[in-house]
Amino acid sequence: MSQTKMPSARQRRLRSWLFWAVPAVLLLLPLATNPYTQFIANGILISVLVTLGFTLVIGNLGQLAFANTAFFGIGAYASAILAAKLGVPWLLTIPLAGAFGALGGFLASSAALRGIRSYYLAIITLAFGELMRWAYLHAKPVTGGTDGMPMPRETLLGTSLSDDTLKFYIFLAVTVLLVKATLNLMRSRFGRAVMAVRENEVATASLAIPTARVILVTFMWSGFVVGCAGALFARHVGHVFPESFGMLHLIASFAMVLVGGLGSVLGAVLGAVLLTALPEYLRAFPGMEELFFGLIVAGVLVAMPMGLASLLRRVSPIFVERFYREAP
Amino acid sequence: MTLLDVKGLSVRFSGLTALDDVSFTLEEGNVRAVIGPNGAGKSTLFNAISGYVTPTSGTVFLKGQELTQLTPHEIAEQGVRRTFQNGGLFPALTVLENVMTGLHAQTEGSFLDILLGRSAALKSEAENIHRARELLKLMSMDHMADTRAGDLSGGQQRIVEIVRTVASDPPVLLLDEPAVGLSPVARAQMMEIIHRLAGEKGVGILLIEHAVELVMAAADRILVMAAGARIAEGTPEEIREDRAVLEAYLGHA
Repeated sequence: MSQTKMPSARQRRLRSWLFWAVPAVLLLLPLATNPYTQFIANGILISVLVTLGFTLVIGNLGQLAFANTAFFGIGAYASAILAAKLGVPWLLTIPLAGAFGALGGFLASSAALRGIRSYYLAIITLAFGELMRWAYLHAKPVTGGTDGMPMPRETLLGTSLSDDTLKFYIFLAVTVLLVKATLNLMRSRFGRAVMAVRENEVATASLAIPTARVILVTFMWSGFVVGCAGALFARHVGHVFPESFGMLHLIASFAMVLVGGLGSVLGAVLGAVLLTALPEYLRAFPGMEELFFGLIVAGVLVAMPMGLASLLRRVSPIFVERFYREAP
Repeated sequence: MTLLDVKGLSVRFSGLTALDDVSFTLEEGNVRAVIGPNGAGKSTLFNAISGYVTPTSGTVFLKGQELTQLTPHEIAEQGVRRTFQNGGLFPALTVLENVMTGLHAQTEGSFLDILLGRSAALKSEAENIHRARELLKLMSMDHMADTRAGDLSGGQQRIVEIVRTVASDPPVLLLDEPAVGLSPVARAQMMEIIHRLAGEKGVGILLIEHAVELVMAAADRILVMAAGARIAEGTPEEIREDRAVLEAYLGHA
């Protein structure tokens, strides 16, 4: 019988300390980077949020919905349009892009709430993503069409927002806050209800849990997180193009979810870090990059079907993600 | 006191009458068994009371409050909770997490409180962890708290499901074949649990069960159904002697 080894009170204290220690150490990262590696590090932070939002819906809620890249594009375009056309300061566009992403989540959940599930939900949400891409291409006056949307120049506290070190600190703050909020959510009655819907939706309703609301809110929170990531991405690349939000992005994010471990917050972080950094290392093998990338993803999944997070869980109970929170 | 008052409940699915004008009441601390051959409408009755099937006509009242048009989660929140014939546990969650889902509506803290980790939400969560552990202790299941529910034996799963269902102290409990597939020892334990819930806590229990000895021993009153309709009603002694019941089960003599 698999009695999960749960972390002791001491380990739980250590863990909450560790949670803040990681970003604290990362504050020093710009001292150790060059412009190129700093740019990669910024991209990793965006991937963490994209993967986190994705894993909530397909891992925790168990819905085969592939609208994640749509949320990302909606967030990126919302940020770019608000900043470039309406002159909204970019920092302010982050939560607004999140709100638009949440609206995308609302739309995606309406399909699930009408009883469209499994493969049918997969197809309809894929279509949603492609429809959004079509809209970016064809709503030229608003989105710039194939030319995309350039981000306006802006300064913050006297530093240009094209500075990657400044961007890193902003991205880090946004990422840490959203990861922390998502952890709070998952380790609460809400997080348990999300998993309960995945396990047995009919039985969940019998426990006075409003299942439709749980599904709706999960999709919207996922959209919010990924929408915020979109706003970061707009500033990260400086110019938003429709091609960034196609199937390739979706498949890469899906691989990050699986490599990290479905339905795991820690897994989302690990998968995003590994698979965003990996292609950069593989540049040393021109012509073989895709092959090696595919082999590594397949290798991880064959060796650890439950993802990298499951490996850490075996190392120490400190990495066990429980869906309740005891006093430290 | 009358807890559940079911009046003229009918369910028709395009021409098929699954439930035909069924009425009965359930009193506080009473166990009422619902028996009948397969296809008699027992499960439809449960689904209609708990909101999973919308009745074509008839009403259900809990302590004078109408439940008929409510959704399943609203009916559960009003205090009518049920178990499922083929098991309703969440296999990937631990035993403790399963029991805690039964306390969902009892946990305080808004979405924003939870998101921001405010103390209101954390305190209520901690109280419910404690409560869930106490409930498991009552059933001598506390050593299993961190086990995946899917790894429990069939009998243990049934017990955890009942603990989860009664965690919020509902006045009415609907048990759908709680003893099916259980060993004689586990069956006896299930009987004991049903007796305790009704006798000590005054829960009104509606029980679908095929195990005759369990029904005869546990039920205060029995409702016998066939082809969607009620064919007999009475104490276990009365039902044992009833001709209509014998015919429904054994055919005409």
